[in-house]
Amino acid sequence: MTIRFSVNGRDEAVDVDGAMPLLWILRDLLGMTGTKFGCGVGVCGACTVLEGDRAVRACQVTAAEAQGKRFTTIEGLSSDGTHPCQRAWLEEDVSQCGYCQAGMIMNACALLRRTPKPSDADIDAALRDSVCRCGTYVRIRRAVHTAAKLGGTK
Amino acid sequence: MTTRREFLKVSLLAGSALAIGFRFDEADADDGKVFQPNAWVRIAADGTVTIVVGKSEMGQGVRTSLPMILAEELEADWTKVRLEQASPGPQYRSLGTGGSFSVQSQWKPLRQAGATARELLLTAAAARLGVERASLRAERGFVVSDVLQQRIPYGELVAAAAALPVPENVPLKNASEFRIIGKATRRLDGHDIVTGRARYGIDVRVPRMRYATVVRPPVLGGSVKSFDATRAKKIAGVRAVVQVSTGVAVIADHTWAALKGREALDVVFDAGPNAEFSSALHAQRMREAAAQPGFTTRKDGSISSPVVKRIESTYQYPFYAHAPVETMNTVADVRGDRCELWSPTQAPQDVRKNVATLLGIPQDNVTVHVTLIGGGFGRRLGWDYAVEAAEVSKAAGGGPVQVLWSRADDMKHGYFQAASLHQMSAGFDADGKLVSWSHKKVSSPHNARSKPTAEQMQDPTFFRDISWGVYDVPYDIPFIETAYLPVATPVPIGPWRAVFSPSSTFARESFLDELAHAAGLDPIEFRLAHLGGAEKLTAGDVTIDRPRLRRVLETLRAKSDWGKPLPKGSGRGMACNVYDGDTHVAYSAEVTVREGKIRVDRVVCVFDCGVVVNPAGIEAQVEGGVIWSLSSALKSELTFRNGGAEQSSYRDFEVLRIDEAPKIEVHLIPSHGDTPFGAGEPPVPPMVPALVNAIHAATGKRVRKLPIRAEDLA
Repeated sequence: MTIRFSVNGRDEAVDVDGAMPLLWILRDLLGMTGTKFGCGVGVCGACTVLEGDRAVRACQVTAAEAQGKRFTTIEGLSSDGTHPCQRAWLEEDVSQCGYCQAGMIMNACALLRRTPKPSDADIDAALRDSVCRCGTYVRIRRAVHTAAKLGGTK
Repeated sequence: MTTRREFLKVSLLAGSALAIGFRFDEADADDGKVFQPNAWVRIAADGTVTIVVGKSEMGQGVRTSLPMILAEELEADWTKVRLEQASPGPQYRSLGTGGSFSVQSQWKPLRQAGATARELLLTAAAARLGVERASLRAERGFVVSDVLQQRIPYGELVAAAAALPVPENVPLKNASEFRIIGKATRRLDGHDIVTGRARYGIDVRVPRMRYATVVRPPVLGGSVKSFDATRAKKIAGVRAVVQVSTGVAVIADHTWAALKGREALDVVFDAGPNAEFSSALHAQRMREAAAQPGFTTRKDGSISSPVVKRIESTYQYPFYAHAPVETMNTVADVRGDRCELWSPTQAPQDVRKNVATLLGIPQDNVTVHVTLIGGGFGRRLGWDYAVEAAEVSKAAGGGPVQVLWSRADDMKHGYFQAASLHQMSAGFDADGKLVSWSHKKVSSPHNARSKPTAEQMQDPTFFRDISWGVYDVPYDIPFIETAYLPVATPVPIGPWRAVFSPSSTFARESFLDELAHAAGLDPIEFRLAHLGGAEKLTAGDVTIDRPRLRRVLETLRAKSDWGKPLPKGSGRGMACNVYDGDTHVAYSAEVTVREGKIRVDRVVCVFDCGVVVNPAGIEAQVEGGVIWSLSSALKSELTFRNGGAEQSSYRDFEVLRIDEAPKIEVHLIPSHGDTPFGAGEPPVPPMVPALVNAIHAATGKRVRKLPIRAEDLA
């Protein structure tokens, strides 16, 4: 079936099986590899993207469900790293291997859009479904606070 | 001994870049033959400085710390320094990333190369300006003449510099002159990560590339008996189904089709000899083996006075997976008698060699591009997944194919951390003095990348060298005896973060705490009391520096609120370790235990790795090491049943999440000595025993088995 949706403000149309997860549409068909595969079963958060203002797992969104929706991926925040979350992540030097960080940043964006000044508990609740195996959690917490100060609701 | 002239090579590259070739690893030293550099510094006409070196970035920060070392001596403009990953060629004999050796091994070569380049540029500038070399100085990418009030950018000098002879005996900077080394420096590649531009192995895309996944036998050592691809081939996008030595590969137009094809594939497996294997059976075998004396790995001194009180404990440690978030993958393109690979690997040279062997082609015909790595932790020292990709490409008739492991493949078919059992025994004399120590480790040597030889399996020094944390007990005790008992296992065993040390250090430092309690002494006091004797202790290949260890303990006492009371239900514990004779580490942990639920409130780390190159990077490694260790203590465990691993994702192989991350404070012992030591692995081993000892302080319960489950604290 033909699926039409928008990614980072651009209209896309793909002809795929309606059960195909958005993750593979983004990565393998549209060549947007910023959204990462980590588990494929919705337990690691590496593939988190925004659907409207809401954080969703791209591996759990089927093509049929994506029909007509608006998505934002890490590539869509800004290409020059100037989005408040990106700046905060650089400021706090969060990344180690960096592989999970796109998912972390997208989760943080969704949190800040609904809770502009989050507490540590808000941050923990919003990000507890995302895995960082390098163990950057304490910096992620700091970075979300920093992003809030930089106007992360954008 | 190689002279400086043999150590460095200067040339002018096309595009007017000055290139300095050097050797970055002594193991690669020439046998008096023609000097062949295996690392380069390139200074381009636009002033960009590129280090080309064979070190993989997997989060440990080498793409920042190594450029810092070079930039320091070169007096480069820090913002113009980059690291480029070298691909293996004939000039390499040892190329790989592991053992926390990257900064340590390249410290001197990078400084010498940087200093030589700086000297060449100064000499070229002196000739151009017609002034004495001594009147010039180098500063942040420029040669400066204070007399002439002139500044020449490095880029303008590269062509002239490349024509000069290699200077001899170039002086290195004094540590007091460092302006980059020792300064907290952010990751150079952070920008690519936060914009989604960073390319890991899984992100490699080459023209005409297909996507593949492999169905593997569920039982370790099993094989494919037969398969029927009829249903799989009906899935839209599936192009081919081929058998390879690890299973059956489904090759498709995109990953989703490959995964769907895999589900539709009918495969009959032969379970092979391990269908009955389980973790319980393995634990039983370890208990049986523990009754044997084993190989003595250290026997020092004698019991100075009769033992009147003996304390004995047994500690148990499970299997673990690495579980990096980027699963194993590689793109391989076999074309005729050549193969090109793009792989997130810590061991590109092994990939090259083993792919050449598989395909029966010369190593020179194999090109390996090392990509960014989404978490290594030792798993990617294995070359299995890269060789598999080459096999899939070949079986499919050649052409580029990306083989991606599912999360379950990654969990079930890794190279795991070995389970172990530790029998501890210690004796006090009538005066309450600790006079004997014995530690017997029962475990399994690495067998995944290569198996130990028959000679090694009879050699006590082989077992000594794979029991870090056991034989190198740093304490001064009149009689010390350590032993190793190997137990065969069908589980593939390979290096994991901190290799052999975490299990041994868990047992040793937890048992130390038991002894301190038995002696009625504070655990820091108890350790300090047993760190007298010789200042340097040689055990096997390592030397323990007791004054350094005493200093980290004393610093920990000063920085951790040691002795300050905590509320009921909370407790504080500590542990320490000397990693591979190099990096000295001590931790305190504060925990609260309520109804069997453990919350880690605060961790304080004191870390001494000699020269501190990038304090920001080291702190990050400690933070990561803490989280890694807490995952192993509180969450994850890999178990086997019916011959296969039972876990398949982070749902059942749980890891620490952000809401469980404690406050972490890192205190670096100020830069000292003349060498930096590793920081990736050393934070791991003493964290778990510090936690276990804190749990004892909070609850009175002694944990002797990992991972810690609520029922163990009931």
